[in-house]
Amino acid sequence: MRGLLLLALAAVSAHADSPMFTSRAAIGSLNGEQIYDHICQGCHMAGGQGAVGAGAYPKLAANKKFVSWEFVAQTVLNGRSGMPPFGAPADREGSPRTHLTDAQIADVVNYVRSHFQNTYKSTVTAQQVAALPHPAAELMGPQ
Amino acid sequence: MTAGQTASNNGDAMGNGDDSYSLSRRRLLQMIGSTAGGAAMYHAMSSLGFAAESPYQGPIDLQGTPKGASVLVLGAGMAGMTAAYELRNAGYTVQVLEYNGRPGGRNWSLRGGDSYTELGGLTQKCEFDKDLYINPGPWRIPYHHHGMMHYVKRLGIKLEPFFQVNYNAYLHSSQAFGGKPQRFREVKADYQGHVAELLAKATRQNALDASVTKEDQEILLESLREWGALDKNFAYAASDAVSDRRGYDKKPGGGLSARPIPSKPMALRDVLGSGLWQGIPNGDAFDMQTALFQPAGGMGRIGEAFGRELGPLIRYNSKVIDIHQDSSGVTVTFTDSLAGGSKQSRRADWCLCTIPLPVLAQIPMNVGEKMAAAISAVPYASSVKAGLQFKRRFWEEDEQIFGGITYTDLPIMNIGYPNTGFQSEGKGVLLGAYIWGFNAMQFTAMTPQERVQKVVEYGSQIHPQYHKEFDNGVAVAWHRSPFTLGCFGTWTSDTRARHYEDLCQIDGRVALAGEHASFLGGWQEGAVTSALDAIGRLHLRAVAQGEKA
Repeated sequence: MRGLLLLALAAVSAHADSPMFTSRAAIGSLNGEQIYDHICQGCHMAGGQGAVGAGAYPKLAANKKFVSWEFVAQTVLNGRSGMPPFGAPADREGSPRTHLTDAQIADVVNYVRSHFQNTYKSTVTAQQVAALPHPAAELMGPQ
Repeated sequence: MTAGQTASNNGDAMGNGDDSYSLSRRRLLQMIGSTAGGAAMYHAMSSLGFAAESPYQGPIDLQGTPKGASVLVLGAGMAGMTAAYELRNAGYTVQVLEYNGRPGGRNWSLRGGDSYTELGGLTQKCEFDKDLYINPGPWRIPYHHHGMMHYVKRLGIKLEPFFQVNYNAYLHSSQAFGGKPQRFREVKADYQGHVAELLAKATRQNALDASVTKEDQEILLESLREWGALDKNFAYAASDAVSDRRGYDKKPGGGLSARPIPSKPMALRDVLGSGLWQGIPNGDAFDMQTALFQPAGGMGRIGEAFGRELGPLIRYNSKVIDIHQDSSGVTVTFTDSLAGGSKQSRRADWCLCTIPLPVLAQIPMNVGEKMAAAISAVPYASSVKAGLQFKRRFWEEDEQIFGGITYTDLPIMNIGYPNTGFQSEGKGVLLGAYIWGFNAMQFTAMTPQERVQKVVEYGSQIHPQYHKEFDNGVAVAWHRSPFTLGCFGTWTSDTRARHYEDLCQIDGRVALAGEHASFLGGWQEGAVTSALDAIGRLHLRAVAQGEKA
């Protein structure tokens, strides 16, 4: 029964990818730059320019706070205010919400700290990200 | 919707209940969520008891308002305008500050001639024909959202039925049946029929003897025959009775050419393997059950009517930049976007703030640590909707789909057909995409033009007519909405436990309201009921304080 169920679900899991689009199943294959382009850019805009409306999305370009990789990694892992958390849940069992592996978070942190006029030379590893607090294993609301 | 705490949708049921049960349920949700995506996840969660009933108890009655008492309401969405309307009627001096140049907030319709500029500065001009629209935000009102129904009636808004379930719309998997969309009617009949046959077989082979008495087994068998359209041998097989559920190869008619030809059911393994069964309960969740409604002319008609009703009480184009309370009142500073950003302020005895949390978290406000922590604890969901205008209503003319929703595993996730204007000549607008989660994030990261292009591209896999009939489109990504910075607040059982009450408690002279301060996350009813709850409590404080000197 269990096998059948998994088979059935697998059947609807993969859909055709296109250059602009990655299926949920393939999210784990995105590198730092792709993660920025497919996810972060939605709010932080192309080139990390940020945006201002009733509230603002922080500009990532030439961002002095990025001197701390922990600050960036913590933000991606656990979210900040309205920004959703992207860290894998603490129990690492998976989650219905969109999440990235520690290696991917390290990669996107390294990407934003070395692009958009940010020139931090130090890089961070998946092991360093793994040592930071992760989101609780929780079901989120409708996603 | 979100993990709740009422008796029927207790957050504990997810985490602290029977371990084996909750774990397997969680695993199933995880599998559905990580494979099928948002729509299935959403419906799975709804069907597992997350949907909460509105606590609306009838019109609010605020008596004994102190003479001269005043309230500043921040935000002219459903929460803010509900509050302003009732407070004004109760005798308060009310002023509403609104960021947008229109009332409604997320209660909004984009119509031909409208423009919308998203964060990042890209502007879309909606080129739909007159009277055609999409609702970028909420688009349906369940009958049991009593608060919404009350104000709809009071504002004289005409309602139309909203078809949540259309048996002739599609369930579609790009990986099943060669990518050919299947009629909801066929998938439901075949799933139900095969399951009924299996259960009948198990019953007749005495496999249920331990759990069902012999007498009840007889009743069960008869009910299965009726439920699944089984034949006299309890088999699910092609017949008139089965075609009466799943449709005919040739429909019955009149005269010499009238004789119907029954259709042939799909095999059980095809139904199961397709995964399309996930779409069957789409109308079973409490907040998706018939009847549902939509305002004639677009959901935005409600916000517009509220706006007219409140008239000059609402000050538009006002961006709140500071909220400061002291022992005798609240001063709110704002900039006027039409007056070159000049600073102004307003003062009142009390403040009801409905500003969405991602925005509010950035506004200096002297409230206690607990409320401040709560304001910063709620991430907002990602969602995208696209409206497409076509040269003709081909979904009606070619496919006989009148209203309702098609569900697909493609990134567009839903296609919503207009529940109004049936068989009208000329152009038609459908909801080309209603997207959640990772798919929505990716669509958000595109330009509006790219979004529309991708929505047309994916949708044409279901409706090949898209290629020829597409006219123009708009796409709204809620994380690019300048007035919300997201779609709606997403709570977890953990953040609920730690922050929800702190968010809703009055802090000095400031109270918060909005869907984010409710157990009906993302629903307008959450905004309305949270506003009524908050002003009820503010009113008690105002009355206790008595008349101003």
